[in-house]
Amino acid sequence: MTAASASAASAASALLPPLDDPRAQVLLALADDALITGHRASHWTGVAPSLEEDLAFSTIAQDGVNHADLWYQVLLGPDVDDLRAGVDALGLGRLPEQYRHAIVCERPPRDFAYTLARHWVLTRFDAVRLEVLTGSSDAEVAAIAVKLGHELRYHREHADHWFHKLSGGGEDAHERFRAALAAVLPASLGLYEPVAGEDRAVANGLLPVGHPDLRALVEAGTAPLLRAAGYDELVPEPSATVPGADAGGRLGRHTDDFTVDVWPEMTELYRAHPEARW
Amino acid sequence: MTPVTDTMLDTGAVRRAVEDVPDPELPPVTIGMLGMVHDLEVSDEGIVHVELLPTFSGCPATEMIERDVVAAASEVPGVTGVRVRFRFDPPWTPDRIDATGRERLREFGIAPPGGPIHGAVTPAGRRALPLALDASSAEEAPRTCPYCASTDTIRDSAFGPTPCRDVRYCNACQQPFEAFKPL
Repeated sequence: MTAASASAASAASALLPPLDDPRAQVLLALADDALITGHRASHWTGVAPSLEEDLAFSTIAQDGVNHADLWYQVLLGPDVDDLRAGVDALGLGRLPEQYRHAIVCERPPRDFAYTLARHWVLTRFDAVRLEVLTGSSDAEVAAIAVKLGHELRYHREHADHWFHKLSGGGEDAHERFRAALAAVLPASLGLYEPVAGEDRAVANGLLPVGHPDLRALVEAGTAPLLRAAGYDELVPEPSATVPGADAGGRLGRHTDDFTVDVWPEMTELYRAHPEARW
Repeated sequence: MTPVTDTMLDTGAVRRAVEDVPDPELPPVTIGMLGMVHDLEVSDEGIVHVELLPTFSGCPATEMIERDVVAAASEVPGVTGVRVRFRFDPPWTPDRIDATGRERLREFGIAPPGGPIHGAVTPAGRRALPLALDASSAEEAPRTCPYCASTDTIRDSAFGPTPCRDVRYCNACQQPFEAFKPL
């Protein structure tokens, strides 16, 4: 770590709330999934295959970053002295091992088939998790989940549109989308790993259904669509577990795709100017 | 100058000042017309507490709106401080836009959302729309073209220039136009 980034980390750590309790860990999982997914979606701004897709992924990126912003605000609480500085410290001032997103979120966008396959899986997961969170015992979390769920409807329509268009298209489209889904679906099982202390957040109703139990709810929606599209063999076996290379994100283990690619780029400006205001 | 007392503070004037703050991205429309002002109270000490409902969580204009609300309320005689809070319960939905707001949007070339949304929120309730995971398309009925009033229009793109708008096309006058997303 350079002197500059060490001093930025120390400036940020003074602004960070306690992060070890189960509530903070759950909120970080929600926020970090959205932030890193949004960051990867922004890859397509200016270079997507069509203007409509450029708008779509630019909006999806903006939504992801802003959804993360909201969860960071909840984590900081209403009495924080400087809300924007706190949100920046949470989003950009943590060390890589302090992020709690699933590893599938940090993978590069590869080609457009992979991007759309991951988008479909992540959006379906996000919709189910938000639906569950509308029943949270934390009234603020429940209200935000309602709001974000409305917005996510556009992401879901867009993702489902491409799922049907590619799976039902010509042989080339069908097979390339199959290969993309085959790469994404096993890795996506990392989404269902629990954060540290998650049992307590489930018991007190903050997260009414824990991450491991979200899997059945998500797959109840995705498995029939995969079968109807002719991708029967891609439906994960109930006994399937996340491959080792894609495991551990919720506990802070991340791959080079994050630690030497996303994280340095995403945080570079903050590390250079931790006191900057926007 | 005589000291300002709470009896001189006109709460109605504070509310008008706040509701007249324009949307930075749609200047002809005020946040009052958009239905963003949820609650406004003035304390005995002259401190204004405003609760606003953001249209979209990802709206980059919210910070500008907060600054503009603080500035507008501060100009009312007797106001000693302004606190703005954004809240999500109830969630903002397009049916909160009033008739003037809808007409101004149309004049601006943006098709307003139609009538009230079935099941839309009331201030007492929380949920605006059921979060059915297999809900039908958000496209809903074709929007009326803001230029020629034809209803022979299609949605060209579900995503537009801002998070709250999509892009439509009028087959009658062959103009693209923007529409407020129905949410």
